Amino acid sequence: MKEKLTKEEVLHVAHLARIKVDEQEIEKYQVELKQLLNDVDKIKEVEGYDEERMIAPWTENTTPREDISGEMLNPKEVLKNAPRHSGNYIEVPIVISEEA
Amino acid sequence: MSNYIPTIGIEVHCELKTKTKIFSNSTNGYGQMANSLTNVIDLGYPGTLPTLNQEVLSLAMKAALILNCKIRRKMHFDRKNYFYPDNPKNYQITQAETPIGYDGYVEIEVNGEKKKIEIEEMHIEEDTCKSTHRGEKTLLDFNRAGVPLIEIVTKPCMTSGEEAKLYLEKLKELLFYSDVSDCKMEEGSMRADANVSIRKKETDPYGTKAEIKNIGSISNVKLSIEKEIERQAKIYDNNETFLPQTRRFDDKLNDTVLMRVKETGNDYRYFPEPDIPYVIITEEDIKEVQKTIPMLPDERREKYRSLGIGEKNIESLIGNRSLSDYLNNLLDENIDFKTAANLLLGDIAAYLNKNEVEITDTQLTKDRFIELVTKMSDKTLTSKNLKDILETIMESDKTIKEIVEEAGIKNITDDKAITTLVQKVISENKESVEDYKAGKDRAIKYLMGQVMKESKGSANPEMAMNILKEELNK
Amino acid sequence: MLDKSIKEIHEALKKKEIKPIDLVEEAFTRIEKNKELNAYITLNKEAAIKRAKELEEKEVSDNLLFGLPIAVKDNIVTKDLKTTCASHILENFIPIYNATVVEKIEENDMVIIGKTNMDEFAMGSSSRTSYFGAPKNPWNHNKISGGSSGGSATTIAARDVLFALGTDTGGSIRQPASYTGIVGMKPTYGRVSRYGLIAFASSLDQIGPMTRNVYENALLLNVIAGHDKKDLTSANKEKEDFTRLIGKDIKNMKIALPSYFMSDIVTEEIRSEVEKTKKLLEKSGATVDVIDMKYLDNAVTLYQIIAMGEASSNLARFDGIRYGFSIENPKNIDDLYLETRKEGFGKEVKRRIMVGSYLLSGENAKIYYNKALSIRDDMKKEFDRVFKDYDLIIGPTTTTTAYNLTDPMDDPSKSFMDDVLVIPVNMAGLPGLSLPIGFGAGHMPIGLHIIGNSFEEAKIYQLASFLEKELNLNLDARKGEENV
Repeated sequence: MKEKLTKEEVLHVAHLARIKVDEQEIEKYQVELKQLLNDVDKIKEVEGYDEERMIAPWTENTTPREDISGEMLNPKEVLKNAPRHSGNYIEVPIVISEEA
Repeated sequence: MSNYIPTIGIEVHCELKTKTKIFSNSTNGYGQMANSLTNVIDLGYPGTLPTLNQEVLSLAMKAALILNCKIRRKMHFDRKNYFYPDNPKNYQITQAETPIGYDGYVEIEVNGEKKKIEIEEMHIEEDTCKSTHRGEKTLLDFNRAGVPLIEIVTKPCMTSGEEAKLYLEKLKELLFYSDVSDCKMEEGSMRADANVSIRKKETDPYGTKAEIKNIGSISNVKLSIEKEIERQAKIYDNNETFLPQTRRFDDKLNDTVLMRVKETGNDYRYFPEPDIPYVIITEEDIKEVQKTIPMLPDERREKYRSLGIGEKNIESLIGNRSLSDYLNNLLDENIDFKTAANLLLGDIAAYLNKNEVEITDTQLTKDRFIELVTKMSDKTLTSKNLKDILETIMESDKTIKEIVEEAGIKNITDDKAITTLVQKVISENKESVEDYKAGKDRAIKYLMGQVMKESKGSANPEMAMNILKEELNK
Repeated sequence: MLDKSIKEIHEALKKKEIKPIDLVEEAFTRIEKNKELNAYITLNKEAAIKRAKELEEKEVSDNLLFGLPIAVKDNIVTKDLKTTCASHILENFIPIYNATVVEKIEENDMVIIGKTNMDEFAMGSSSRTSYFGAPKNPWNHNKISGGSSGGSATTIAARDVLFALGTDTGGSIRQPASYTGIVGMKPTYGRVSRYGLIAFASSLDQIGPMTRNVYENALLLNVIAGHDKKDLTSANKEKEDFTRLIGKDIKNMKIALPSYFMSDIVTEEIRSEVEKTKKLLEKSGATVDVIDMKYLDNAVTLYQIIAMGEASSNLARFDGIRYGFSIENPKNIDDLYLETRKEGFGKEVKRRIMVGSYLLSGENAKIYYNKALSIRDDMKKEFDRVFKDYDLIIGPTTTTTAYNLTDPMDDPSKSFMDDVLVIPVNMAGLPGLSLPIGFGAGHMPIGLHIIGNSFEEAKIYQLASFLEKELNLNLDARKGEENV
C-alpha cells in the first residue's frame, strides 16, 4: 500500500474542495489523506452484498407540499450576515470563468 | 467547403409556472425588487432543508406527457456539486440518475415531411440566482434561486439549424399551451443550449462537440448553429482540429465566440440527495394530470381546418392563445366558424390590442358572440355596421338586438327587395351595363354604388353585389 | 435546587416556592463555578433571564419541564443567538431563524441557557477539534469528555443543568455520554426534525437528549420528537409518551449481545462490566444471547465514506459570500473561496472535506460511495433479521474509558475508531442509548449501549431504567475525586 499521495493528487483534491493548501502543508496532507484513503479502501474487500442501496434510513416516501406562498425575508435580512453587499445585492469579486 | 453531416442536440431549460419555488415556499416571481423573494432555504442557510412543491411534480408530469415521455414511478434527487457564486449551497439539487421523464419525442415537419425529434430525458431541478456584473464586482440577486426548472434533453438527432428552430418552436408552443411554462426567452424563462458537431459520413464517429450556451432567441439558435457548422467545417477543411469547448452566441457579432475549452470531464461529484426521500408517482397521479392537459396546438389546427377556417387564420389563432381558447369554447355551437375566426382576428383583436384588454375581460359573452356571428353570417349586419357598434358590444351589457336597434341599423337582407332595386338600377343605367359587358371593371363599381344609394345604404353589400352580378349576366 | 428530582422541582415551581428565574440563576452560578470545564461556547444570559421572567407571568402547567434550563449544542441554530459549530468560519454567525427543536423547547416553556462546546462541525470524538478549545471531563479534568457533543455531556455530568441537546452522526451523543457517566439517546432517524441542525452528514445526523437519568431523558424526547413538514426525512408517527414503559418488568425480554461487541477491541474492564450487566439481566428473567452479526466490522469504513462524502457537499456552502467568516479584500472569486475556507476551517474538517470530495469524484462515486450505500442496506437488513428474534441489542458504548486530553491527535483514523461500536446504529438509522453501568480504572465511567428496533425508543428506556434502578450508581461527578 502506498504511504503517500503525490503532490499533484493533494492539489487536485484541495482544488475540488476549494481549500488552499500551502507548500509547507502539502507533505502533511500527502500522508494524512493517504491514511484515510487506505482506511476506506477496505471496502474493496467486501463481497457478497446485494446492489440495492440505502441512500438514507428513510422511513417514508416524500410527501410534497402544496404550492402556497409563505413568509419571506426582506432584503435587509438577506444582507444581514453577508460580508459584502451593495444596494439590495450581495456582492462578490467579479466572476470571470464560467463553471456551469 | 466540403460537405459535412452536422449532428445537433438541444438542451432546454424551462421555468415552471408555479406560485412558489421548488424546494421552499417563497414566491416564484420575475421582475421584483432584488432579494425580496427569498427565504433562508433559497439562500442556503446552514441547517435548512428542502421541501418539495407538488405543483412542480404535476407540471413536470404534464410536460412529460405532452412530450410523449415515459414517466418514472419511483425517483430520487441528486446533488450536483460545483462552486459558483450563483449556486447558494454550492450544490444544485437535480435529477441525474432518475429523471422524471425519458424516451419521448416531439414531432416536427421539415420541408413537408414529418420527423420525430427524440427526447432522451427530462428532469426537474432548481434554478440558480441571478448575477449582474458591475465593474470589478458581481452582484447577486437570489430571487431566481430555487425557481423550478425542467431540463429537456434531445438525442443528437437534428441535422440543421432549421430543424433545431422548428423543434424549439414546437416545444415552446406545447409547453406554453399546456401552461407548463411562460416560455419567454427574453425573460429567461426558456433557455436553450445547442451541442453541435460535424462529420463526413454517417458511418464516421461523431466529431468534436462544441456547446453553444444560453442563446437568447429561437432565430439565434438557428443562426448560431449554422455559424458553428461553418466554423467547424473550415477547421476540418484546413486539416486542423479543435478541442471540445463551450461557446456563446454574441448578437452584436452575429457569431459564436469561445467561452472556455472544457476541462477533462467536469467533476460534478453527483450523489443521491439524502434530504429528499423517494418520490412515488402512481397511475392515479398521472390520470389526474392527464385531465389538466388542454387541446394542444396541432389538434386545434386540425379542428379549425375541419371547420373551414383558412390556414392563415389558423396560424393567427394558434399565435393568440386567448382567442384560440375563446373559440374552443364554442366548438359545440352551430355557427359559421369562418366568420367567427374572421371576427375574432379582425375587429375584435384590433379592439383588444388598442384597449390592452383580454377578451375574457370584456362584455363579449359566449352568447353575445354567437348572436354576433349569426348576424354577420346571415348578413343582417355588415362589417361597416360592426365597426360602428363594436365598442358598445364590448363594453355595455345591452343585448346585441338593442344595440343594433339603437344604432338604427336596418339592413335589407331580403333577396326579392334587393333584386327589385338592382333591376331598377340596371334599367336606368344602360350605358354602364354596356361598359360592364365590354369588360370595363369600373362599371360594376358604379352600378353597385347606385344600388346602395337607392337602398339608402341599408342593402347588404355582399348580397347586393351577388345579385347585381347575377342580373347583369342574365 | 437543581440537585433535586424533576418532580420535586416541578412541585416547588407549582407551589411558587421557587420561580424559573431561580433555576436559571442557579444554573449560571454553577456554570460560572465550572468555567474551567469549557462546556459552553456562548451563554444566553440576558435572554434567558428575560425569558424566565416572562414565564413567571404564565401559569405553571403540568409539563414537568416547565421553566427548566436547557443547554443546546452549538450546531443547532438559535435565532439571534450566536451559533458557531465550534468553527472559526461561523465564529460570529447570528442565525435569522430557529431550528424546529428550538421552537419546541420554547413552546414547552424551557429556557435556553447557552450553546455548548463541540468538535468543529461535529467532526471528531473528543471535542478537541473545537476552535474554542476542548471541554474537560468533570470526573477528571485531565480527561476528554468525548465528542462531538462534549460540551453537552460535560454540563450534564457537572450538574450545571439537567437537560441538554446533543447531536449524533456516528456516536456523538452516546460516546460522550458514556465517557461522562450520563444518559444519552440517539433517537431513530426521522424521530426528531433536523431542520435547523447544521448538517454534517445528512443521512446520519440526528438530534437527541442528554440527561443525568433515564426518566428525564424520555421526558426531553417527548418534547423534541415529532413530525415536521420542514424536514422531508422526519417520520409521520403518532405522538407517544416515551416514559410509558419505564418501571415495567423486563421479565422474558429477549436481548442479543453481538460477539463483535465483546471482542478484544474492547478493554478488559469494560467487557467485564458488560458481562456483569448480562448476568444481572439474566437473573432478572431476561434472556441474553451472544450472537454473530455480519457487517458490524465494516461499519467504520462505510461511515468514513458516507459521512465524509456527504460532509464535503454539506460544507460547500461555507464560502464567505452570504454569511460567516470571509477574508479581507479577495483578489478574485477563487481567491475568496480558497482563502476563506483555508482560514475558516480547522485541520480535521479540511481533511474530511478533501477526502470526501475525492471519494465522490469521477469513478470513485461508484467504487466507494455507491458500494457503501449497498452494503449499508445489507447491514440494515442484518439488524432487521436480529430484531425478528430479539427485543433489544446490547454491548459496550465505547472500547475504552475517556482518555487524556493530551493524547496525540495526529492519527486521522483514531477519531473514527473511537466510535466503532456506536456507528452501526447510525448506519441503520436505529435508536441507541448509552447508560452508565459502572466505573473503570481511575473511577472513569463505563457505558452500556442499548440498541432498539426503529421507533422503539420506549423499549430502550424500559430496559435502561430497570438497570439504572438495579445498579443505583452514584453518578455525581462532583464527588468523583472523592470516589477514587
